Amino acid sequence: MSLRLAGVSYRYAGSPNVVLSEVDLVVEQGEVVGIVGPNEAGKSTLCLVAAGLAPGTIAGRLEGTVTIDDLTTSTARPYELAQRCGSLFQNPGTQLSGTTLSVWEEIAFGPRNLGLALDEVVARVNAVVSTLEIGELVERAPARLSGGQAQLVALAGVLALQPAYLVLDEPTSQLDPQGTNLVGDALAGLAARSNVGILVVEHKTDLLAGIASRVAVLDAGRIVAIDASADILADERLPGWGVDQPSSVRLARAAALRGVSVG
Amino acid sequence: MPGPPRFGASPLADPRGLRVAAEALAFTYPDGTAALAGVDLEIEAGERVAIIGQNGSGKSTLVRHFNGLLRASSGRVLVGDAPVGDRHVADLARAVGIVFQNPDRQIFAGNVRAEVAFGPRNLGVSGSELQGRITSALEAVGLAGQEATNPYDLGYSRRKLLGIACVLAMSTPVVILDEPTTGQDARGVARVQGIADDLTTAGRTVIAISHDMRFVAETFARVVVMEAGRVTLDGTPAEVFAAANWETLARTYVDPPLASRIGDRLGLGSTPTDAALIEAVVARGG
Amino acid sequence: MTQRPPSFVVRAPTGTYRSLNPATKLATAAAEVVAAFFLGLWTGPVVVLVLVVLTAFVAGVARRLGVVAAVTIPIVASIMLINSLLYPGATDVIARIGPLAPSISGFLFGLQITIRLLAASLALGVAYLTTRTGDLLADLERRGFGRRASFIIGSAIETVPRTVTRAAEIVDAQRARGLDTEGRWWRRVRGIVPLAAPVVFGALTEVEERTMALEARAFSTPGPRTVIRTLPDSGRQRAVRWALLLGLVLLVGLRLTGHLAVVP
Repeated sequence: MSLRLAGVSYRYAGSPNVVLSEVDLVVEQGEVVGIVGPNEAGKSTLCLVAAGLAPGTIAGRLEGTVTIDDLTTSTARPYELAQRCGSLFQNPGTQLSGTTLSVWEEIAFGPRNLGLALDEVVARVNAVVSTLEIGELVERAPARLSGGQAQLVALAGVLALQPAYLVLDEPTSQLDPQGTNLVGDALAGLAARSNVGILVVEHKTDLLAGIASRVAVLDAGRIVAIDASADILADERLPGWGVDQPSSVRLARAAALRGVSVG
Repeated sequence: MPGPPRFGASPLADPRGLRVAAEALAFTYPDGTAALAGVDLEIEAGERVAIIGQNGSGKSTLVRHFNGLLRASSGRVLVGDAPVGDRHVADLARAVGIVFQNPDRQIFAGNVRAEVAFGPRNLGVSGSELQGRITSALEAVGLAGQEATNPYDLGYSRRKLLGIACVLAMSTPVVILDEPTTGQDARGVARVQGIADDLTTAGRTVIAISHDMRFVAETFARVVVMEAGRVTLDGTPAEVFAAANWETLARTYVDPPLASRIGDRLGLGSTPTDAALIEAVVARGG
Repeated sequence: MTQRPPSFVVRAPTGTYRSLNPATKLATAAAEVVAAFFLGLWTGPVVVLVLVVLTAFVAGVARRLGVVAAVTIPIVASIMLINSLLYPGATDVIARIGPLAPSISGFLFGLQITIRLLAASLALGVAYLTTRTGDLLADLERRGFGRRASFIIGSAIETVPRTVTRAAEIVDAQRARGLDTEGRWWRRVRGIVPLAAPVVFGALTEVEERTMALEARAFSTPGPRTVIRTLPDSGRQRAVRWALLLGLVLLVGLRLTGHLAVVP
């Protein structure tokens, strides 16, 4: 049981450019896999394809297969995929439904869509609010949230679906360091305790160093390196791929060049 | 050390900057929100300043006074040495250019050239001068040769750079950048740093709002910290990010750069950048 | 133990008349509109108008209803003028001034139409002013209205403020690039495309992203959504709605078969 991309290539409808080329990637349950790479490498497309939103909702041509447990994304219904694999994208403004009057109701949007019993909906919303520590936001109107708050609420909305897998495209881009740590802890907790398989695209390699077991580098639509996170994040080729190494690695390297060591 | 100023058709040709200042500046939004509670700030011509602080501390509100988008409720704003007064925004745009955070809130043209031409055209630039400015601006942001490309065919980070090009082409003595590195990968951030260097070399005044502390510490010689509509700290990165100020910074949700924290932990004083930290370690003898 | 949503989510409406179930208020408005058109030439319209105004006062929306009424002034004025001055076939013409022939019967006819128009539109106005859209949608959905229709209407509401905020950001960005919005009109006209285009592009890109986000939240799951807000209803209100519906049908039937000819 895993999220599996096998020999995946992808082209958007109406475009001759191949955005992903022969991608092979597996995310096991309980594992956090990080994706790094320069902008326009296809990381967002990778997320769309992994979650089954492409070619399902976003038109395009998929070669190879993407399976989420026993579902094949090219044949399953979007709502079946959504229950199995939660996804979150970059612009928090468009991730929110735009029809709810309070953050609480916004988080309840997903579970409500599933037709769950009211008890269950309430329990799930309260659990997520507690995990992400957004209790003070529950009464706020979603339209009045700052970018960072909206991003946390959007993540909460996805977590409330309690999917077996998560595909996240830069979930902390708008968050300050405290928010980033909170999300990092929440994701690590989900993987460890709830056995959720997580695929996360991030620029913040410091974050990935803390929570990812493996990291893959995506460049020009191809996975050019994939290994244990400690190995990848220390790889000298990362800056060449447009990726900032974690601060600890950077400082250690700069220090080593000067013949000193930084504790 | 920056090289000599460049001359010619480059948009960065005129080595002139302008002083901008706020004197007891207060501003309240029509709905009653008090956004600025008395800001005193002087930025000399050619200075490179970063403004940091939490969302809502007044950073964006403050810079919008420099080009007239917002008018002081009380106090004064000066551009050059003259008060802003009633000068139209279109007029102040000759002196102060602002690059906003979201490029998609301004792109309207079907090709990059027309988009970059918009600003200078509004200022009355035309003909070969205009073409020269467009070319140089695109070169400066790494979009040379993309004149015919549709802006929406560029990825988000390159659209942000396009937004910078649009203001560079206006050759304003003061350039303000609102969160220039959000959404940029490492190459994009390096590009923005290069642009800031070029502008300073040309003597322009550069002001940036950012929440990327590493970018701030590495790129700016002066850091202004805002909290609840006031300036709470103002100095070099080493001064502002020194351990003594961490509590003040925390109040406005600013975390000092990692290099500062390591330097403090190792007892090396205030080391806001990787380079400063390494220097301090070397100086101590490794 | 049954967990309930917090009170700020449940948000039961309060106030006289306002706290009634939306379906009741809609049924009342429907009955009033039908009565205004089918219950005689004067009786229906006058009775409904009086009833509507009284309801507005009781519900506390009288002033806002006045605003709605004010909107109808141009139409009312033209109806009165045209009918008073140009009523064809009038036998009690007061004077002739060129093509104009003011008459009492014309005036009365105009008045009749006006009162009917006001009665019907204000009846709808009261229903609109005493019902929050969110409440109406929640109630309709509980009764089986589809989630998609409810979503479309609900999202239209937030679209306006969101577009306004976005438009303000666009105006700021373009003005900062020298677009003149304070000068001569011919200068300002040049700003139409730079101001409108980003709004349109933004809206288009958004549609795709929003659709995707909806699917990602399992919006297209078949079956009814969980109801988290149940608006208060009562046996009495249900009875009243049925009575109104029957009365409405009866009224139309009687009128069409000519039995109401005696009503003034």
